[in-house]
Amino acid sequence: MIIEETFTVDAPLDHVWECIRDPAFVAPCVPGCQDVEDIGNGAYRAAVKVGIGPIKTMFKLEIEVLEEAPPGFARIATRGQEGTNASRLTAKSELTLSAAGDGETKVHYKSDVQVVGRLAKFGLGIMKKKAKALGAEFAENFRVAAES
Amino acid sequence: MEFHQPANLDQALALLAADPEARPLAGGATLVAMMNAELVAPSALVSLRGIDELQTIEETAEGGLRIGAMLSHADLAGEARLAGGHYVVRQAAAGIAHPAVRNIGTIGGAVAHGDPSSDLPAALVAADAAIEVTGPSARRAVAAEDFFVDYLTTSLAEGEMVSAILLPAQPEGAVGHYEKFARVHGDYATLSVAVVLAMKSGECSFVRVALGAAGPTPVRVPDAEARLLGSALDAQAVRAASALLIKACDPMDDVRGSAEYRLMLVPRLLARALAAAQEGAP
Repeated sequence: MIIEETFTVDAPLDHVWECIRDPAFVAPCVPGCQDVEDIGNGAYRAAVKVGIGPIKTMFKLEIEVLEEAPPGFARIATRGQEGTNASRLTAKSELTLSAAGDGETKVHYKSDVQVVGRLAKFGLGIMKKKAKALGAEFAENFRVAAES
Repeated sequence: MEFHQPANLDQALALLAADPEARPLAGGATLVAMMNAELVAPSALVSLRGIDELQTIEETAEGGLRIGAMLSHADLAGEARLAGGHYVVRQAAAGIAHPAVRNIGTIGGAVAHGDPSSDLPAALVAADAAIEVTGPSARRAVAAEDFFVDYLTTSLAEGEMVSAILLPAQPEGAVGHYEKFARVHGDYATLSVAVVLAMKSGECSFVRVALGAAGPTPVRVPDAEARLLGSALDAQAVRAASALLIKACDPMDDVRGSAEYRLMLVPRLLARALAAAQEGAP
């Protein structure tokens, strides 16, 4: 499934790039993100708690920045699993920042996410809605943090 | 995992209050299936089977019905008192899955699970039902419209459970209909339309419409109902109401149909539901 979102931050491009490439800055903006570890070579490990109603689980993710062109573009690969390998997730994401005038920055990301296992069985439709909601929550958290 | 079988509601509530990871077990049609899939792992199950006050359906002093949370879908499907406007609930229950599931699944369980693709939530919103919620210290009634919050998320707080469904008296001459469109018999709805309406001299004098599987919660739009009120429920009124309903829908894409397809079904199923309700009128 494709998850795509655009939001605008009232801060200059260079500042937003600095924020978005700092895991210590990004982690608290990600809903449910518990800890992030820098494992070198542009790769990180993160644990993210996700819940839909009574269903609660923790994704253990490895995030790798495959390519970046500061201050405007990054290509990221994410892979991980939840519930001792009951579901597996892979995602290819592209992040694009562009100056939007008046010192504002437009942030655009597009992720192609694949989930297999028990959570996929549970229904891709509901997951897509959840991913969109989490994306919107992240955007709002990030915007507030980067503007302050 | 522990298993408790309390004999009354107070004992059940005390057990639930003592352990936030404990879950009340009604019929188990959904909870046990989710446990089997390892999607949930409660620390304890509190069976509601032995609690008498949850097993009865009674007429209220105000002319409505109080349906105990443990009434099964099969019970409701055969309940003659669910007539007139309340018929929408009977019909929704009768269309849930298959006999085996209807025999174990309960109205309280279905409501507490809060799945917008299931049949009862939309029917209960159309019938203007209230959900009776009982917690350790208090009992409250929440309008069905406010009870459902998001996918599988309700306004139940920790330690609270659904104890009954309260159906108000319906207006004079009201009729109900639940129109379900599913890929195959017994499946979840691709889209469903629940209506309760009354006609007076060829004009609609009362109407409530709620859509199922059309968003994270049942979709009801008072402005859309206003377009139907006073009309003969003709094609033009249905079109105007559908346009407003569609604006409020946020359906998902899944194997049962794309979001676009579900929206396309809204005017068609609304027209069918309104016509069928009138045909069924006494």
